[in-house]
Amino acid sequence: MCPSTLSPIAIPDAALPESARRLRTEVRAFLDEERARGTALGRPDSWLAGWDPGFSRRLAERGWVGMALPTEYGGAGRGFLERYVVIEELLAAGAPVSAHWVSDRQAGPSVLQHGTEEQRRFFLPRIAAGQCFFSIGMSEKSSGSDLASVHTRAERTSDGWRLTGTKMWTGGAHVNDYAIVLARTDEAEDKHTGLSQFIVDLRAPGVRIEPIRLMSGEHRFNAFHLDGVDVPDGMLLGRRGDGWKQVTGELAFERSGPERYLSTFPLLVSLLSELEHRSVTAGQLTQVGLLTARLHSVRRLSLGVAAALNAGASPDTQAALVKDLGTRLEGTLVDTVRSILPTRADPHATPGSHAELLAFALLHSPGYTLRGGTNEILRGIITRGLEQR
Amino acid sequence: MNTHTIDTDTPVISADAYDTAAFFTGSEAIAVVTNTTAPDAVPLPSPDASTAELLFAAQEAGRRAVPAPFTETALVARPLLRRAGLPVPDGPLSYAIAPELTIRYAHPAASPVGSAGCLGDDDTLLITGTLHRVPWARAAGAVVVLATAPSGPVLFTLDPDRAALTPGANLAGEPRDDLHLAPLEIPASRVRRIPRELLEEAEHRAALGRAALMAGAAERCVELTVAHTTARVQFGRPLSHFQAVKQEEARLIEEAALVRAAVQAAATPLDTGGPAAHFAVAAAKTQASASAAEIARIAHQLHGAIGITQLNPLHLATTRLWSWRDEDGDETDWALRLARSVTAATLWPALTTKP
Repeated sequence: MCPSTLSPIAIPDAALPESARRLRTEVRAFLDEERARGTALGRPDSWLAGWDPGFSRRLAERGWVGMALPTEYGGAGRGFLERYVVIEELLAAGAPVSAHWVSDRQAGPSVLQHGTEEQRRFFLPRIAAGQCFFSIGMSEKSSGSDLASVHTRAERTSDGWRLTGTKMWTGGAHVNDYAIVLARTDEAEDKHTGLSQFIVDLRAPGVRIEPIRLMSGEHRFNAFHLDGVDVPDGMLLGRRGDGWKQVTGELAFERSGPERYLSTFPLLVSLLSELEHRSVTAGQLTQVGLLTARLHSVRRLSLGVAAALNAGASPDTQAALVKDLGTRLEGTLVDTVRSILPTRADPHATPGSHAELLAFALLHSPGYTLRGGTNEILRGIITRGLEQR
Repeated sequence: MNTHTIDTDTPVISADAYDTAAFFTGSEAIAVVTNTTAPDAVPLPSPDASTAELLFAAQEAGRRAVPAPFTETALVARPLLRRAGLPVPDGPLSYAIAPELTIRYAHPAASPVGSAGCLGDDDTLLITGTLHRVPWARAAGAVVVLATAPSGPVLFTLDPDRAALTPGANLAGEPRDDLHLAPLEIPASRVRRIPRELLEEAEHRAALGRAALMAGAAERCVELTVAHTTARVQFGRPLSHFQAVKQEEARLIEEAALVRAAVQAAATPLDTGGPAAHFAVAAAKTQASASAAEIARIAHQLHGAIGITQLNPLHLATTRLWSWRDEDGDETDWALRLARSVTAATLWPALTTKP
C-alpha cells in the first residue's frame, strides 16, 4: 500500500505472479481449441447467459474450476490471482461459463470458509470437477438492494429445518443442482441478526421453479418457491444467525471481479473487426482509444482489489468502487460502440454478427448496474468508507 | 514494493502562500526544488530513484501543487540527459520536444556523401526558431531539447538565458515561456545524436509525468471535497449526509482512483520500453486527461461558491487539472495513438501484457 494518504483511491497496484503468464498462454490455447470445436464463443455477458455444462467440465479437467480451492478438497490451490487470470481470459473471449460461475466464485469459497468438514468433503471436489452447479438464493420480491429484509423462514424440525418462502432472480435454478438460501431462523430487533444460510437441493420435494423471462425472451432467472422444503441439519451453512455476516463477506469477491467490467468486452472486439474492413476516421479511432484507456484503468483497479483479497484483506469499499466504475463502463461501451459504427441492432441477424451481438448486449445492458447491488447503493458504501477514515 | 521517503505530514501549499511571482524571481526557484526542508517542497529524488518512486513523488508534487518544475526535472530532463550521456546539472531543469526547429550544422562538412550540409565537421549546431510554452523556462538552469537535425534526431541542452524569453503561463499560473532562438549556436559538447526510440521515450516520460501530477491533483480534489462535505452543514445536517451529494462524491472518488491506477500501471512498462510502454503511457495520459473535466466539475459543484474563489485552495488543483490535461498531449492525441496501436486480434493481449 502507498503510505501517502488514507484515501481509498490508494488501491495497491497488482503485479500478477510470474506463473500467470504461462497460465494465460495455456488458457488461450484451450480457447483456441474450443473455437475450433465450434463451441459458442465471443458472446457478451457470457457469465450470465453462456450455460454449457460440457464446457464447464472440460475447463474443470484442466483444473480451472474451483482452482483457488485447496488441493485436499479437489481444488488446484492456485490462489485468487491465478484464478483471476483464467476467468478474465474466459470472459474476454466470451466463453460460456455461466453453468459453473456461481459455484466457482461464491459457493466454493463460502463452503470452504463456513462449511463443516463433511460439507467440504462432499461439495468441493464436485464443484472443482464441474459436476455440481450452484444458484444464489438471496434476493426476494420486495428485498432488492435491502437484502436484510428477506422473509423466507426456516423453522426448526426434529432433524433439521423447514424452509418456506419465495426467492427471486435465482439464476440457473432450473438447470443447477443446489442453491445457497438466506433465510430467517430467529426473530430479532435488528433485522441483520437471526439470518442463516442453507444449502438446498434444487430437486428436493417442495421446491418449485418458475421462470422469469428477461425482456430478450431468455430464461436465465427464476422465482424459486420453497413450499415447506425439508433441509437436514447438515445443510445449515455456517453458524445459525451468522447469515448476514457470511453473505456480506462474499461481497468483495462478488463485486470486484473481471465480470464487472468485461461483460461487453467481446462487443468491442467485434467492433474492431468491423472497422478493419472499412476506412476509419480519426474521430472513430479516438473513441476506441478512450474506451480502451478506461478498460485498462478499470482492470488495473480490479486487479488491485484482487491482490488485496489474495493477501487476506477485506477491501469492501474498493470493491464497491470497482463495481460502480466497471459496470457503468460495460453499459457505456455498448452505447459508444453503437455511436462509433452506427449499426441497427438485430436479434435475428446471423449469430455472432456485429448486429446480433449489439442487440444482445443492448438487451442485457440495464442489468449490469443492478446485479450484485445497485450502483446507487454502492456509492453510499463508497462515501461512508471514505468518511470513516 | 514502495520505499518512498516523503513526509506526508508536510502541509499542502495553501492558497495564501502561493505566489508564482515570488517563487520565480532570482534563485528562489532552485531553493524550492532542492531545499528539502522547505514546507512546500517535494524533495527531488535521488538520480538513482526507480521510476515507481519518481512517479509516486510526482503524484505528491501534484497533490501539493508544488510551484516548481518537478516532473520536468526528475522524470524527463535528468533521465534523458543520462540516457544521452550528457552531464546532469543540479537544480531545476525543463524540456522541449521541438521537431519544428530549423537546424543546421555550424561547420558543414564538405562530405562527398549526401547533400551539402547534412553533416558537420563536428556536431556544433545553429538553431533557429521558437520553443513554445516551455514549462518553467525562466526558472530552469537548462532546457533539454529534442529535435531533428539534418543527420537525424538530436538532443541538446540550452541555457535559457541565451534565448529571448516571452513569459507566458497556463490556467494555474505556472510559467509556460516561449524561447526565441535566432539563430543560436550550440557547442558540440552539448549535442548528442540519439536513436529514434529516445524521442519516443521522451514523449512517454513527459506524458506520464504530467499524468502523475494529475493523479495527485485529482487526489487533492477528493481530500478537499470530502473535508468540505463532512464539515459543511446545510439544512441542519452535513452535506455528506445528502444522497445526492453521496452519488456525486462517489463518482469523484472513483474517477480519481482510475487516474491513479492508470499512472501506477505505467511505471514498470516505462522502464522496459517498447509497445508495452507505449500502450500503458498512452492509456494513462488518455485517462488522466479524459477524467479531468469530471473530477474538476464534481469537486467544484460540491464545494459550492467558495470553491470558485482564491479563498479556498481547490482552485490550485482544478486549474492545474485543466491545464495539464492539454499539456504533453491531450486525451484526443493519446487516445488516437492508443487506438492505432491495437487491432481486434491484439487488443486483449495488449491489455494483459505483463508487467
